[in-house]
Amino acid sequence: MQTIEINPMTRLEGHGKIKIFLDDKGNVDNAFMQVVEFMGYEKFLKGMPIEEVPRTVCTICGV
Amino acid sequence: MSKPKLAYYLAGGCGGCDIAVVDLSETLVDVALAVDIVFWAPTVADAKYKDLEAMPDGSIDVGLITGNVRNSEHDHIVKVMRKKCKVLIAYGICATSGGIKSLVNLYTTEQLLDKAYVDTMSTDNPDKVIPQTSCIVDSKYDLTLPALFDAKPLDQVVSVDYYIGGCPPHYDHVKTAFTALLTGQLPPPGSWITSGKALCEVCGRNPVLTGKPKKFTTTIKRTFEGTPTEGACLLEEGYLCLGPITQGDCGVKCPNANMPCRGCGGPIPGVKDFGTRAISAIASMLEKEELVDEIPDPVHLFYRYTLAGSALGKKLNR
Ligand code: SF4
Ligand code: SF4
Ligand code: SF4
Repeated sequence: MQTIEINPMTRLEGHGKIKIFLDDKGNVDNAFMQVVEFMGYEKFLKGMPIEEVPRTVCTICGV
Repeated sequence: MSKPKLAYYLAGGCGGCDIAVVDLSETLVDVALAVDIVFWAPTVADAKYKDLEAMPDGSIDVGLITGNVRNSEHDHIVKVMRKKCKVLIAYGICATSGGIKSLVNLYTTEQLLDKAYVDTMSTDNPDKVIPQTSCIVDSKYDLTLPALFDAKPLDQVVSVDYYIGGCPPHYDHVKTAFTALLTGQLPPPGSWITSGKALCEVCGRNPVLTGKPKKFTTTIKRTFEGTPTEGACLLEEGYLCLGPITQGDCGVKCPNANMPCRGCGGPIPGVKDFGTRAISAIASMLEKEELVDEIPDPVHLFYRYTLAGSALGKKLNR
């Protein structure tokens, strides 16, 4: 199956890519948008004093 | 003369460092006119990784990398950047030292994924599906994702020519750094681009600057406990401010807003391991040893921005 990959998706923060699958005639059969990044704040904030959280989670996305 | 070519790649960061460049406002116009931006992804320009890969090696004068190296895609692109760029700069504390996002190194990838995709109260995922590096959907669409690993600062993956701290760097500091770059007035390779002063040296709350002695810290306070005395050193008042060992290039942003510094500027010159130096600096300010036990959550305080780049690097028993 022929594919087209758009990597990275641009003008945003948070990395993503798009993969498009083409059929025999070259038409779009299916397309997938994938978020390729994973951060983990849900876990690594554990134990942090609550008053420190706002100034920390602002780095999830700085745009 | 042709303009210097500039490339910018955001790896495992948040885009805040990119915004700090955009915050140059009018100066940005001068910078944009003075350089030829050949690659800036994924935030500002519509550039693709294959465009960068196709450029001749060594053809880019300056490369800025922001964010840490946290997955196989970051790892690949930073290596491509190193090949293409004559000068490579770790820009922002994620790239120089790991940043907040390197606190992932307190846990294993499995523990992190399990919390985010299975174990949070708002998650409905009965089949416990978590991201895989490759999977085939409907038995015909093969999809891949980068492999995750412990976060690393940039210089654990490629050689770095200059370091710029801050989360993000203050735009005035970005301006200074860009001016130094464009005029070629750079410190020796391997250096941080910084005034070299500690935050305390430029902080209006520092009693030493007005000839008064610095007092020991007699209590430990959390930031919601009481209100700091106007103009008084936060550390003296019990709010654990990391100003003594942090680069003072941010305009004293946090202490000026009654908030103790958490060290995003990176270590003052001569300090390699921010966390251990911060521990020793704070410990030496405490009036009595017992106060150490009152410090809440030391790892998120002393290693908030530098865990991956520290001598510890990660939590060993995870
Ligand atoms: S250093 Fe801070 S502002 Fe820059 S990318 Fe990392 S988290 Fe974002
Ligand atoms: S410890 Fe903090 S508040 Fe005190 S002088 Fe240093 S930077 Fe200012
Ligand atoms: S005061 Fe400290 S934590 Fe706040 S912006 Fe400056 S260096 Fe970063």
